[in-house]
Amino acid sequence: MTAREHERALDLIMRRGTEEMATPESAWLNSHLSECSECANFAADFDSTGRLLQAVAVTASPRLVMATQARVRARAAELQERQSRTVLIAISFCIGAMSSTLSAWLWWRFGGWVAQRLALPPSIVEPGVFVAWMLPAVVIAVAMLASSHPVIDRSLTMRILEKQEGGRQ
Amino acid sequence: MIATAFSLLVPMETEEAQIARGLRGRDPEVLDALIEQYQHRLLRYLLHLTGNRAVAEDLFQETWLRVLEKGHLYDGRNRFVTWLMSIGHNVAIDYLRKRSPASLDEMKDPEEGTPFEPEASGPTPFDIAAEQQQHERFNAALEKVAPLFREVLVLRFQEQMKLEEIASLIRIPVATVKTRIYRGVAALRPLLQGGPQ
Repeated sequence: MTAREHERALDLIMRRGTEEMATPESAWLNSHLSECSECANFAADFDSTGRLLQAVAVTASPRLVMATQARVRARAAELQERQSRTVLIAISFCIGAMSSTLSAWLWWRFGGWVAQRLALPPSIVEPGVFVAWMLPAVVIAVAMLASSHPVIDRSLTMRILEKQEGGRQ
Repeated sequence: MIATAFSLLVPMETEEAQIARGLRGRDPEVLDALIEQYQHRLLRYLLHLTGNRAVAEDLFQETWLRVLEKGHLYDGRNRFVTWLMSIGHNVAIDYLRKRSPASLDEMKDPEEGTPFEPEASGPTPFDIAAEQQQHERFNAALEKVAPLFREVLVLRFQEQMKLEEIASLIRIPVATVKTRIYRGVAALRPLLQGGPQ
């Protein structure tokens, strides 16, 4: 018997039970096992290991399952909140950038006109134009800060857990 | 015949596709149902991998949080359980990297008794006692097997996974899976040959 045949036999033994085996392969394996005591012993040990391992029972406690579900729900809520805030920030940034770009030329022209009319030096007019140009972005930032709340609500897990317990009772 | 095969395939695809859709949308109902459905299998795998119930329970929660976060990566083409176990495997590996033990066996709590509860069943009290004794000896022997071998044995026998599935889950060649199974069985051989039948 060649090493290749033993290798093939071991491969078939390990696949037996989880994969369909063609009839010729099954017949070849049976024939090989009847002739090769080493492979036959391995097949017997392999099957015994499987039987004993399948008899081992492990169960998760309801407490663990409930705590996991609560943590997952709380985390899902956090992720959803973070996602919606990211979208809000992105929209605000786009609006701010667009308004600043569109109004830059107007503010520059307006600053020039004011400087000419009032005979003000550039050292006063240019910072003023800059502040006016930045105003939309500043207003948006202040508005967002004013309406913001913590991204991670620490009491969320407890609230969900209490709600879940209440629902089960 | 093709129609029969198709009808057999469609329900499985639909279920996996539904799971994938639920995970993409981070649907809490879907996640709750998945936790309920796979609770025992995932905990059993992590318990065999770590040998410590408390650690396995922590990793169990961590695995489901990662399923939530990485859910969009599951495409529904493969079995969900294989993907779930691969997440559990990665969580366990990450845990080990943080702790940097020399081997998984260092995670075992020496104060803790046998972590597994054997199912005792048999027609007579003698059979029950004998079987229970054999299970206890088997569990004790299993705990002594290197975690690398224990993991593939659990996936092969308890999860009934194909060799290719195990290989893709652990990210090792199929030949290595076979070697580990062979060595795992060989490590348990003294018990299997010397134990009561």
